[in-house]
Amino acid sequence: MNSRGAAHHDGAKVGIELAHHFETVEQQRYAATLGIWAWLLTELLLFAALFLTALILRVTHPEAVKLATGHLKFWIGAVNTVVLICSSLTMSAAIEFSRMGWQRAMVRAMLATAGLGTLFLLLKGYEYYADYEEHMMPFLSRRPYELHESPASRLFVNLYYVATSLHALHLFTGIGLLLGMTWMASKAGFLSRHQNWIEVYGLYWHFIDLIWIIAFPVLYVVNR
Amino acid sequence: MTAGSIDAGLSGRDPHTPESTLDRPRDYLHAQSTLRSWFLTTDHKRIAILYLTSITLFFIIGAVAAGVVRLALVVPNGAILNNDNYNKAFTLHGVVMVWFFLIPSIPATFGNFLIPLMIGAKDLAFPKLNLTSWYIFMAGALFTMISVVLGGIDTGWTFYAPLSTAFSNTWVLPALIGVTIVGFSSILTGLNFVVTIHTMRAPGMTWFRLPIFVWTHYATSLIFLLATPVITVALILLVAERAFHVGVFDPAYGGDPVLFQHLFWFYSHPAVYIMVLPGMGVISEIVPAFAQKKLFGYKFVAYAAIGLASVTFFVWGHHMFVNGQSDLASLVFSGLSFAVAVPSAVKVYNWTATIHKGSLRLDTPMLYAMGYIGLFVLGGLTGLFLATLAINQHIHATYFVVAHFHYIMVGGTVLAFLGGLHFWWPKFTGRMYNESWGRVSALLIFIGFNVTFFPQFILGYLGMPRRYATYPAEFQLLNVLSSAGATILAAGYIFPMLYLVYSIWWGRRAPGNPWQAKGLEWETTSPPPTLNFITPPKVPNQPYDYPIKVTETGGTPA
Amino acid sequence: MRNPLDALSREDRALAIRHLRRPILTSLALLALLAINVTLGATLPFEQVWIVELLVVTVMASLIILVSMETLHEPPLVKLFAGIGFFWVAILFAMTLTDYLSR
Repeated sequence: MNSRGAAHHDGAKVGIELAHHFETVEQQRYAATLGIWAWLLTELLLFAALFLTALILRVTHPEAVKLATGHLKFWIGAVNTVVLICSSLTMSAAIEFSRMGWQRAMVRAMLATAGLGTLFLLLKGYEYYADYEEHMMPFLSRRPYELHESPASRLFVNLYYVATSLHALHLFTGIGLLLGMTWMASKAGFLSRHQNWIEVYGLYWHFIDLIWIIAFPVLYVVNR
Repeated sequence: MTAGSIDAGLSGRDPHTPESTLDRPRDYLHAQSTLRSWFLTTDHKRIAILYLTSITLFFIIGAVAAGVVRLALVVPNGAILNNDNYNKAFTLHGVVMVWFFLIPSIPATFGNFLIPLMIGAKDLAFPKLNLTSWYIFMAGALFTMISVVLGGIDTGWTFYAPLSTAFSNTWVLPALIGVTIVGFSSILTGLNFVVTIHTMRAPGMTWFRLPIFVWTHYATSLIFLLATPVITVALILLVAERAFHVGVFDPAYGGDPVLFQHLFWFYSHPAVYIMVLPGMGVISEIVPAFAQKKLFGYKFVAYAAIGLASVTFFVWGHHMFVNGQSDLASLVFSGLSFAVAVPSAVKVYNWTATIHKGSLRLDTPMLYAMGYIGLFVLGGLTGLFLATLAINQHIHATYFVVAHFHYIMVGGTVLAFLGGLHFWWPKFTGRMYNESWGRVSALLIFIGFNVTFFPQFILGYLGMPRRYATYPAEFQLLNVLSSAGATILAAGYIFPMLYLVYSIWWGRRAPGNPWQAKGLEWETTSPPPTLNFITPPKVPNQPYDYPIKVTETGGTPA
Repeated sequence: MRNPLDALSREDRALAIRHLRRPILTSLALLALLAINVTLGATLPFEQVWIVELLVVTVMASLIILVSMETLHEPPLVKLFAGIGFFWVAILFAMTLTDYLSR
């Protein structure tokens, strides 16, 4: 295998350009994979700590949590989950196309992924707006809170905002990175030099999806 | 070559042929000298020097804050500093020393510099990420300093709710944000080390040929990755609580201030092992070199590092025995805290066994290492006192705790840092420091440290609480003694700053291996070339292949 | 817009389908599991339905990690990195709940 690490036989040039501090392409690829997983480890613990907080509230104030959950926008959350699952599909397609050397298809799949991610954020924004209208933003101290007779429900709703906005922040930066990468990936020769970037990024995107797959039931479903 | 003569190749009396420098690539320090080449470097060695300079700056800030605290405590009635300013002084000391000095100290300086050298690699796995982590560190630390400039914070470095969230009138928010930012620097360093150690070892460098320094930094990096995100959440929730009153730490809204402590200490207990494990790695390199003897029980020491990094995650509640957590939880945490002492003890026994029947040279690094072993043992044993539920009721939040952790953090980690700094100084700079000054400073630090902190054990036992600006008059003598010790300690810190810097320009030039030490970093020039090795290093069959070898059962091999 | 699949030759189309089969099937499985959870959440058939819902979540998460993120086909070290985070989350949860469940 030459230093470009050409990995596919059907004529498409797919590979990785060896960086000066690595000895082989395999070493470089392996290091990148381990590196992204190490990062995802930290992200998992980040969200887990938030879910723990929600769990403790559930254990200590079950009725208040049930009351608050009833006022969350279950169906918007469900549709958003569908959107993210589809975006994971397009991201997986982008990875497969990158391995096949189909640069144009890959770029389109990446754009579709970014589009679906943006759709999620738009739906979330609408959801937040609807919450605001229904007086379900207790952290706005000037605005009377809908469920004011249950103080602990207020905490659950606030935790819902912390968790979903942290997830939205990850999604937003993820889309930004994705668009930047798409721009670079559309240039000639990208796939022969940096194919594994798509795979490394794809792991991050799947992980954001994974967090939402857990967050949606934990926040919207199990406490009903 | 006689083991025990560090002057072989160095003494002005023996005829000494300097190493050839013709056709040698320029070393990393002199390869380029523009500002850009330093501030946009991706060379792990230069990044280590960047970190060394910045943590020294923060050490000075934290030490001055400590000086202010000790000055205030010379009188029992708070005449020197009022309560608010006293609170700000000890908070500044804690925040700066923990997050901007101790946590990055050994990993980000020695770890960055030495890990690629020790494993036979050209750099870390992600050099640009490495530089990014330094910039993130500086951004977060300087951002925190904004709150200091604006008037300081008074919550203690532990930021407990509800003081930090509802009652403190100081600039808590910038400090919280700054510390959160610095956390990302830790995570990226840990990530880089873990991936590097897994994937970039030279051919033949198996796990059990790695120096213990690498093992302990691997263990530390695991803690960086697994613990830091949880305190990120704790601090984010504090920000949310303080800015928006979300209620997460407020019982009136179903929240619980103890939850903050759970999330805080889930990180902060393993964090103290972040502060301790790298120091243990340093000692594991110095002791065999200055006993010229193979490290006793290498595999036990290696496994103990991983053991520490794992068990440390199970004990955080021992900081919360009196704070309202359930009795069952306290029992569990107490029992597990006894367990976590075992791997530390294993390491201490192994270092001691290495020294036994070794050919000792009491040069500066070894003085620091031996001081470390003694003081760490004292600090560690007093930890067992604190882990005992009944005793903890009486000494929690007293000076006993303060003395305990300073014995480990200063008597342990700072001594290890200074020992390592002297040990590897020739490698970093290509110069030797003045050995007599080194020994004098080590002695001053050891004496000054004990005079400062031993009285604090007694004060804590007698009941003097920590974080109070005033105290009963009968404690004044011990407090004055402690403050006097602090001045000796300060002198001990100042001298190395002077003679080490002096040596950079006027010190004797160092050979590749001035200590006859083993390890791949000594197989290259002092300082190393930018790509670390002129010829690819040959990995030895065993680590610590020193002249004196003793088998695990105590006999000498044939 | 013309269907981009029409532009492909027959071999290329077969190639694309071969490569995309796994991601498509995984996404369909995830959607089906989501449908189960949404139905359970909307209808709430019995008191302890949350146990079933969490089990469904576990299956979905496993599918994403093992299949979408390809850890099934990765070397053991990558599998360890992928799995160890969950173990540490378990430590965090278990030890903290030791306090809250016994107060």
